[in-house]
Amino acid sequence: MTHTDRKVRIWGRPLLYTSYAQDMALFDTRAKKLWCGGLVLFALALSQVLVDHTLELLATALVAAIGAIGLNLVTGYAGQVSLGHAFFLAIGAYTAAALSGDPAGRTLGFGVTNLLIWLPAAGLVAALAGVLVAPLATRLRGLYLAIVTLGLVFLGEHVFKEWDDLTGGPGVGRPAAAPELFGWRLDRPGPLGSREQQLYLLVLVVLVVFAVGARNLARSRIGRGFAAIRDRDIAAEVMGVPLTRYKVLAFGVSSFYAGCAGALLYTVSGGYFEAGSFSLLLSVQYIAMVLIGGVATVSGSIAGALFITLLSPVTRELPALLPFISGDSTQTPNVFQVETVLYGLLIIVFLVFEPRGLFGLWLRVRTYWKSWPFSY
Amino acid sequence: MTVATRTATTSVVTRVRDRALATPGRVALREKAFGIWQEVGWAQYWEQVELVGHALLALGVEPGDRVAVHAENRREWLYSDLGIVAVRAVTVGLYPTNPAAEVSYLLVHSGAKILIAEDQEQVDKALAVLDECPELEHIVYIQPRGITSYHDHRLIFWRDFLELGRSHRDDHPGAVERRMAGSRPGDLMTLIYTSGTTGPPKGAMLTIANVEFAVTTLVGVAEPPPSPRDLVLSYLPLCHVAERAFTVWFNAAAGVQVNFAESIETVPANLREVQPTILFGVPRIWEKVLAGVNARLDSASPVKRLVLGFWLRVADRIGDTLTRTGGRHTTATRTAYAIGWLFCYRSLRERLGLRRVRYAASGAAPIAPAVLKFFMGIGVPMHEVYGMTENSAVATGNRPGRVRLGTVGEPHEGVELRLDEFTGEILTRHPGNFAGYWRDPRATAAVLDEDGWLHTGDVGVWVEDTHIKITDRMKDILITGGGKNVAPSELENALKASPYVKEAVVVGDRRPYLAALIGIELETVGEWARRRGLPYTTYRDLSGKAEVRELVQGVVDAVNTRFARAERIKRFAFLPKELGHEDGELTATQKVRRGAVAALFADLVEGLYR
Repeated sequence: MTHTDRKVRIWGRPLLYTSYAQDMALFDTRAKKLWCGGLVLFALALSQVLVDHTLELLATALVAAIGAIGLNLVTGYAGQVSLGHAFFLAIGAYTAAALSGDPAGRTLGFGVTNLLIWLPAAGLVAALAGVLVAPLATRLRGLYLAIVTLGLVFLGEHVFKEWDDLTGGPGVGRPAAAPELFGWRLDRPGPLGSREQQLYLLVLVVLVVFAVGARNLARSRIGRGFAAIRDRDIAAEVMGVPLTRYKVLAFGVSSFYAGCAGALLYTVSGGYFEAGSFSLLLSVQYIAMVLIGGVATVSGSIAGALFITLLSPVTRELPALLPFISGDSTQTPNVFQVETVLYGLLIIVFLVFEPRGLFGLWLRVRTYWKSWPFSY
Repeated sequence: MTVATRTATTSVVTRVRDRALATPGRVALREKAFGIWQEVGWAQYWEQVELVGHALLALGVEPGDRVAVHAENRREWLYSDLGIVAVRAVTVGLYPTNPAAEVSYLLVHSGAKILIAEDQEQVDKALAVLDECPELEHIVYIQPRGITSYHDHRLIFWRDFLELGRSHRDDHPGAVERRMAGSRPGDLMTLIYTSGTTGPPKGAMLTIANVEFAVTTLVGVAEPPPSPRDLVLSYLPLCHVAERAFTVWFNAAAGVQVNFAESIETVPANLREVQPTILFGVPRIWEKVLAGVNARLDSASPVKRLVLGFWLRVADRIGDTLTRTGGRHTTATRTAYAIGWLFCYRSLRERLGLRRVRYAASGAAPIAPAVLKFFMGIGVPMHEVYGMTENSAVATGNRPGRVRLGTVGEPHEGVELRLDEFTGEILTRHPGNFAGYWRDPRATAAVLDEDGWLHTGDVGVWVEDTHIKITDRMKDILITGGGKNVAPSELENALKASPYVKEAVVVGDRRPYLAALIGIELETVGEWARRRGLPYTTYRDLSGKAEVRELVQGVVDAVNTRFARAERIKRFAFLPKELGHEDGELTATQKVRRGAVAALFADLVEGLYR
């Protein structure tokens, strides 16, 4: 239609869009590009600065962020409330562990330690489970869907507790997936530093890839379809969004993210896991990440995951400050109870006062300065 | 295309053609459609102009024929304008707000052969008066919505019109160029109908030479001169000489990128998007921006109000100094501004869409110096300029660094300007003086004397022998019962500088004292009332409130302190309605028709002297 030299942003005019590509660009302003680049560099630099214990914690948080992004895709973007996230995490974790496990070991194992194989495989198996569950979502809405997905968690918990060959049995557990990349074990000290440093860098790279992927998905045709379904499924269908296909897709993609997160989660933290981990509490934690971080935002999911994951080490310090709280799980009140109560409280506080979560807080700050020196 | 067929006469059209050859891919125009600023390169611009030219040839347009354009600012306006001039016809611009009766008058008076109308609204106006316009042969409509069901053989859809041009170009390649080759500097190029505050509009005839003089002179006003790197926002009616100069002529002569605002309502938003570097506004626009800043200051959160309020006071101080120095910074103001830039001015200008403005001008009507000072204080280089349709908008202007507030500046280069010894009327003489009023030799003789001096009808005085200060329109000077000559516009503009006053009409000719009819600004006074918990329903209800009366009384008192006793406003009354173009109280350019207002509200005026 137009014949000009090239479509370039006109300098100093961030609001002047001359093509839709500019309008929808991932980094639509220079400032965003610079800040994001700076943030990734900062995260990379942290691997050289922080002590191993903190790095392990951060790496766990980054893996949780991948899972939270996945949950946000289905719950935040597509509006399908899912309490079954722990189930998909479990499927990913066991697929990866079984694939990379020692064939001669106590538990099931196939000896495929290559990360490039077991990570996508974990995602795909979880995605398959998600696709199988998705037809429920096309029939049910809102509260009913939440309860049905809740059922998944209990089903899964039972199966994993009974299937000793795979899970090692309750209270015993099995080793997590072994991360090997091009014949080089990342969970042993190597050229990039200690075990924690290497694993941290690994999950950071994976997180960046998954986060960019989710952002791109959200701003594509599919993402707009998800948003349309969330806002009103009947209206979306009238506009030509195929409901069934998009809901299946939402569950599939979300479960893929969950599967990958589950596969990495225990590799990064401890290297050992047992069937009892995948309880309703885990699902609630992820819901908390999404709600506290910010519904339907990728950066919010990451912020929420960091917040929730770093909350437990902070609460573990509580007995030192408040002597009436015990560090022992057999006494009441203990830190674990406090932690659970905190999740609930935080969800309530955020839902009531800032439904847009941490991202909403950031938005408020940004709007305050963006509208400077006026108020609107 | 051979050299032989090329015209020797430089015109706006040849300038665009030459740009299309030199820089075909650079951006000439931008218009927002479907949320995106669609860009038009010079080559595409020229091709569209050529197609319009061919289409007009195909419809049998002869040199000297009039073609009317009745549309909001958009790309097709420029394509049409230049296409019309390319085939040596004459462009007649109609205001989009013109009611059917005025459309009829303008079409009949100009004898337009073809009308290019924007949409159903404008087509309807033309169809309603079709029987009165025997010379009108075709109506080209740009937007088909609602018109497709019309069955009038004179209607042509814009796309079909261009198709006609395309097939004509295939059959007669170079026909437009050949027609252009015959154009002479004395050729009539456009009829610009003056808004007519006193009588029916008069069509000022501008020739190619007039416009060429205006183009070369006006481009020299900004320092450094406008270039293809500059952006302007086109939002005032293109049939007005000032907007035509800043949009069409600047674009052709200096390659300035023209951005069309979506509508007059979206100007604030479009300004923020485009961030123009050169901006022309009429006083009403600048007053509105100032009123908006004040309104938003009042409703800002406490911290922001404190910060913005402080820096606005500093800006006021800076403005005072700049007023003294003529717009040149001193070390003190530069330092103050640099600090204020960090905390306030940068973001304030960004929010107003004035961040990148390097040359701002106000013209077409008198403006209060306080408004100009505000803009100078926040760092917008503001210049009041003066010109009128009859001299192709070329007369005087404040130059960067030599600004005298309250004056309209120094005569442009090549402009002869003197004051009439007896009346003080401003007379100008230069190649931009128009060729006369269309089909009105008597009116022409009244303003253009044998020596070529144009009688502007404005009374002025010299300030420091270099700058011209306009006191008022000749016809508007009031003589009070005490025999004092009073220029009402000075008082009116001082009143209108307040954010709460939209219209002010000072009366008092042959009366014992001066009085004023005041129209409040519904937006700001409404906001003011809302903050005070004052309920109101309509404009009339609001202006009837005692509190509002008190508020405006305060404004009037403040203005009165600045004037001599005989020039003070003793009493005032509120206009019971907002003045409008439709009702004949305002001209298309939003100027008050004093006669109409005085007649319409005669009892109100009488009440002020009882």
